[in-house]
Amino acid sequence: MVTEYANPEKFSRLARPFIPALGAMSVLLFTAGLYYALFNSPADYQQGETVRIMYVHVPAAWMALFCYAAMAGASAAGFIWKHPLADVAAKATAPIGAVFTALALVTGSLWGKPMWGTWWAWDARLTSVLILFFLYLGYIAIWETVEERARAARLAAIVAIVGAVNLPVVKFSVDWWNSLHQPASVFRAGGPTIHESMRPPLFFMAFAYMTTYGALLLVSMRAELAARRLARLETLATEKISGVRPE
Amino acid sequence: MTRKQKRLALLAGVFAVAAGGVALVLTALGQSVAYFYTPADLSRLAAPPSGLIRLGGLVEAGSVEYAEGGAAVRFVVIDEFARTPVFYRGPLPDLFREGQGVVTQGRLVDGRLEASEVLAKHDETYMPKEVADALKEQGRWKEEGGAYKP
Amino acid sequence: MSGLVAIVARDVVLALRAGGGAVQAALFFALAVLVFALAVGPDLDTLAELAAPVLWTAALLSTLVSLDRIFQADFEDGSLDVMIETADLLELVVLAKAVAHWLTSALPLIIAAPVLALLLNLPQEGYGPLLLSLAIGTPALSLIGALGAALTLGMRRAGALVSILVGPLYAPTLIFGVGAAKAGLEGAPSYGPSLLLLGAVTLFAAALAPLAGAAAIRFNMR
Repeated sequence: MVTEYANPEKFSRLARPFIPALGAMSVLLFTAGLYYALFNSPADYQQGETVRIMYVHVPAAWMALFCYAAMAGASAAGFIWKHPLADVAAKATAPIGAVFTALALVTGSLWGKPMWGTWWAWDARLTSVLILFFLYLGYIAIWETVEERARAARLAAIVAIVGAVNLPVVKFSVDWWNSLHQPASVFRAGGPTIHESMRPPLFFMAFAYMTTYGALLLVSMRAELAARRLARLETLATEKISGVRPE
Repeated sequence: MTRKQKRLALLAGVFAVAAGGVALVLTALGQSVAYFYTPADLSRLAAPPSGLIRLGGLVEAGSVEYAEGGAAVRFVVIDEFARTPVFYRGPLPDLFREGQGVVTQGRLVDGRLEASEVLAKHDETYMPKEVADALKEQGRWKEEGGAYKP
Repeated sequence: MSGLVAIVARDVVLALRAGGGAVQAALFFALAVLVFALAVGPDLDTLAELAAPVLWTAALLSTLVSLDRIFQADFEDGSLDVMIETADLLELVVLAKAVAHWLTSALPLIIAAPVLALLLNLPQEGYGPLLLSLAIGTPALSLIGALGAALTLGMRRAGALVSILVGPLYAPTLIFGVGAAKAGLEGAPSYGPSLLLLGAVTLFAAALAPLAGAAAIRFNMR
């Protein structure tokens, strides 16, 4: 089933209707999520209204990890099975994941100033997420620097896979070290510690981010495939005009 | 050795080295590499650290005293085993209150921390005020004061 | 095996020759420390507190600037091709190259560190922890650096790219290295665990960097 959609033309055609669908879902989910987050959810017993930043921050942090895992997973798939779309998916994921990471860092900082009393602290969670951000940038830099596409894909895949060792560090940093950042509230042993009245905005926002990622991923992958096709066609055209195969 | 055997030997070597790394991590995590000391950590030290340190724990109930017309504050940071007095001059974060988890940074002078920074530590529990009040009324409230569990 | 020893020996001999890298590495290290010290100013207490972080940062920077030496010369004169053709396991060649880099770039700087620590007014009890942390941690810098050098092999403007790639991967080494050096100086309880974690970082780097580095070289030389 997977190889069936490996044909780029076929993938581009099939992906096309999903883009408006995912886009519409993302608009609806953002509307619902932001409505709940900003107007229709209770203030926290300790944090007051500042808790609303959490609804933007926490799902963004989840997406930061999810996108990196997807990028590293796709890179590994491209490495092992040489699936032609894997590199395209990994490349398209990187900037989206980097933006989610930046969003998590910025909103966390905005929350930290009133709550902790500081914009930034070099504790294990904050530091490892900042490293995650730079790993995204390194991955993107490889694609920007290496001109030959196949070579860039392989080298970028190595960077993505090696950098994946940071993922468990980010996730478990709050449990391994006495960090300033609080431990997990949702994905934790013993059930969530977020009151149920505060969960709807959190999950609406999480799904809004997921659908946004899906839509942007497909747009970006189709653009990349179109760019590759264009490059191929240009090569063919040059050959035809000059009668020689350009090196 | 054939080529395949060599590759297998290489992989075995890689796994052995990585396993050594995991063993070291597990040994290290048994002890703590802390963002902050707890009062109990400090009391166990033979000599008090001379440099800038971070101290984490709960603000002891009833220990907060404002001085210098509210510009400075004295309080005691506790954990289950020990207590360390703190003196701090400067703005406090919103979450600072008695029973709350805090991380303070400063220098130890005669057993008292002269803090240059006080950060409030928040826990992983989120709930509306009404729910917190109801839990307190029903006597099901666990007075944890922030995430900090010594 | 003897081939790998030969690779290490050759790199060490080349580095020790006039114009080789060993002296340069130590000089760069000293210069970086000097620049920090001048920027911090003459206050000896502040310098003493910053001694371990400054020496570690300088060690990291001087490793970073010497990374191009690991493969570049061999790549240019074709001996890297020979190594790829003749070596049974390219991974071990990468490991040997990293060992050679450590011997020629990190070891001189560990030897120079006590003198520079003196200039930074490091208290006496800080020397042992500092040197121990450098000895345990700098192999990770060479190993991860070899991976970075392999990834950027033969590229123009490789210097900036290698910093972007290697920088975040150096973070754990720097954090635990400085952490151990400072904890040892202050007699803090986190000294032991920091050294263990630093050792773990080095072991992970030793396991992963040769594998990933060899793969990168194969893709870059294709």
